[in-house]
Amino acid sequence: MSKRKKPGRTQPAPADQPGHTAYDHPTPAATAQVPTTQVPAQVPTATEVDYDDHDLLGQADWVIGGDAARKARQQGLYAGYVLFLGALVYGLPIVQAVFRTSDAGSLGEQLRSPVAIALLVASVAALLGAVVFAGRFRGPVVPPMPWIDLVLPAPLDRALALRRWWRYAAVGGLFVGALSGLTVGAGLAFAHLAGVVTIIVTTLIGTALGVLASRLWLWSQVRSWPGPDRSLILLWRVPDALRELHAESLRTHSANTSTMAGSALTGNLRTARLALTRPVRHGRSARLRPGSPFVVLVRRDVLGLRRTPGAFLSGLGLTVLGGAVVTWAFTQPAAPSIAATIGLLPLYLGFGAWAEGLRLQADNVGTPSLLGTTEVTEAVTHVTVPTSLTVIVLGSWVGVAAALGSLPADALLSLWLVLVLVLAGNVLAAFRGSPTFVLRPQMVAIWYAVPALTVVVLGSVVAVLTKAGNYTWLSVVSWVVYAVLAWSVSKVRRLTYLHRS
Amino acid sequence: MGVVAVLAGEVRAEGVGKTIDETTLLLPTDVSADPGECIVLRGPNGSGKTTLLRIIGGLLAPSTGTATIGGREADERDRAVRAAVAALLGAPTTYRDLTLIDHLVLIDSTWGGDPNSSDERGLALLDRLGIAHLDDRFPHELSSGQEQLFRLALTFSRPASVVLLDEPEQRLDTAKRQVVANLIRERTASGGTVVMACHDPQLTSDLATRVVDVVPAR
Repeated sequence: MSKRKKPGRTQPAPADQPGHTAYDHPTPAATAQVPTTQVPAQVPTATEVDYDDHDLLGQADWVIGGDAARKARQQGLYAGYVLFLGALVYGLPIVQAVFRTSDAGSLGEQLRSPVAIALLVASVAALLGAVVFAGRFRGPVVPPMPWIDLVLPAPLDRALALRRWWRYAAVGGLFVGALSGLTVGAGLAFAHLAGVVTIIVTTLIGTALGVLASRLWLWSQVRSWPGPDRSLILLWRVPDALRELHAESLRTHSANTSTMAGSALTGNLRTARLALTRPVRHGRSARLRPGSPFVVLVRRDVLGLRRTPGAFLSGLGLTVLGGAVVTWAFTQPAAPSIAATIGLLPLYLGFGAWAEGLRLQADNVGTPSLLGTTEVTEAVTHVTVPTSLTVIVLGSWVGVAAALGSLPADALLSLWLVLVLVLAGNVLAAFRGSPTFVLRPQMVAIWYAVPALTVVVLGSVVAVLTKAGNYTWLSVVSWVVYAVLAWSVSKVRRLTYLHRS
Repeated sequence: MGVVAVLAGEVRAEGVGKTIDETTLLLPTDVSADPGECIVLRGPNGSGKTTLLRIIGGLLAPSTGTATIGGREADERDRAVRAAVAALLGAPTTYRDLTLIDHLVLIDSTWGGDPNSSDERGLALLDRLGIAHLDDRFPHELSSGQEQLFRLALTFSRPASVVLLDEPEQRLDTAKRQVVANLIRERTASGGTVVMACHDPQLTSDLATRVVDVVPAR
């Protein structure tokens, strides 16, 4: 809103009325109360009202947060400083380790190959897609509830009233993008895979991607509420995008933030999941075909994926990406061992995206039995579909490796162990239950991470031992992998009957 | 599911009570029900009716007394008990990606129902409850009353010698309560045992073979 407003009010504020402040103005209700039957000559003419948006916002800031709010905002600078130090201390060594290899020439050639470039583009596209997905539930502009309820209803320019939260996200996106580009470029240069100029190029590309990601995030938030102007043009018209944000939408995003943060801190994953997922509406006409208990549960999972194409596609994208990196790590001598570590996480997450049936089974524990199957049988049926799909993806990549003439026999064994690990990790994750310890953020974070960490750490050990040709220790680790599988089965049983005691 | 003993619908709860820390949820109470009977648990809110039903269903271990189903300890970990007891105690977790009819087909199939007539059985049950026209809806698309009818359909769609219901009449209009009463009558007439908590005097007088008054702890 400009500083000069013409809201079409019927009469000016009675400045001398007791209790009124400098910011008091007649309410819009006064306009509504004008009888429509009045003759035009009797309708008072519109007056102009001066608003100093900056001054009003300053007053609101002071009333809501006082000086503490200003100081709290300065904490953002400190967070950036910590992030920079973290990238310096941990980011660079990790990236160097990623590209450290005994055969830099071959690795350089492979990284420049069309497949590697296609995977890189797919990864960036997946990241941007994830940002758009996140923006539907939690956009970059999420002011506190009192701000939404008490300040936004004032006749302020919404772009100005919300600008602060957008700036946090924009600066954050720019900073994280630049830092990521700098870290990757520096890692490549230190590993002698590229020149020093690459550092500048990757930093610039990272910065651009950071800016694009934050703008896509905002655009997705705007699109989460119906309205006339939802085109991509809003990507570079940020003030207009901010003006498009509806108060109800902001309230929903703020509530989603509270729900997800609360659920994450208390370990209530079902609530967090339901807050993140859209209600299912696809494939209503498709019917679940009856069959034997095993077959009908498998059909249930297939039908579930048909009705949630987003889950199927995100699982496919992650598994294809993770499968490619893991297969490359196991079949190509030039690939660094740490590549398996990097590929295991998307592979694990992709499997998880296809395993909704498993999580729903875990959600049902403690409720009276409806299905006529045992808990372990039900869990086995629910991993059938994600396991089959993962085998298809991994098998395809193995086929590509074989076609390129590089398929060591030990790589197949190691990929089998990775598959078992990913499966067991997802069962562990679905049946992790609720935290039984005193809830501290660090403890909850570790509790969340245990299944993924188990997969990534053990999978990395398998990769290192496979590349080193240390088959004695590889056989020992393979037993540990099967022990993790047994642990996951015991978790299914334990959680299923835990409620009784 | 393997070989599972078929338990008769004999429900025995003798002096069952539940105390957690210093809080008494249920004073020692006796309940006895035989096949063909409908026992109604009556009592004010907070008297422990749901706790008693959970103990009888084997979902909760009693602090005092014993509960048995067909002569075996009521313990949900026992496959035979699980096969014998169908219960509507609170909101069952449904699959968000399955429609109403899909749910009934799934349950029917996992209990070994004939695949050739599974759809018909499911639709017939939905029809009995007056929600057959909603068969292709997802659970989150139902009103609260329709949701209660769907939960009842889930409970009645599986075979059981004992049916436990916690206030099946809630959120239902008078006509629908009569539909539910008929379903319960049919279940008892076919030799099933029904134990239910109920606040509706009309439903209680229509259905109850016996009424057990659950006394609040305080």
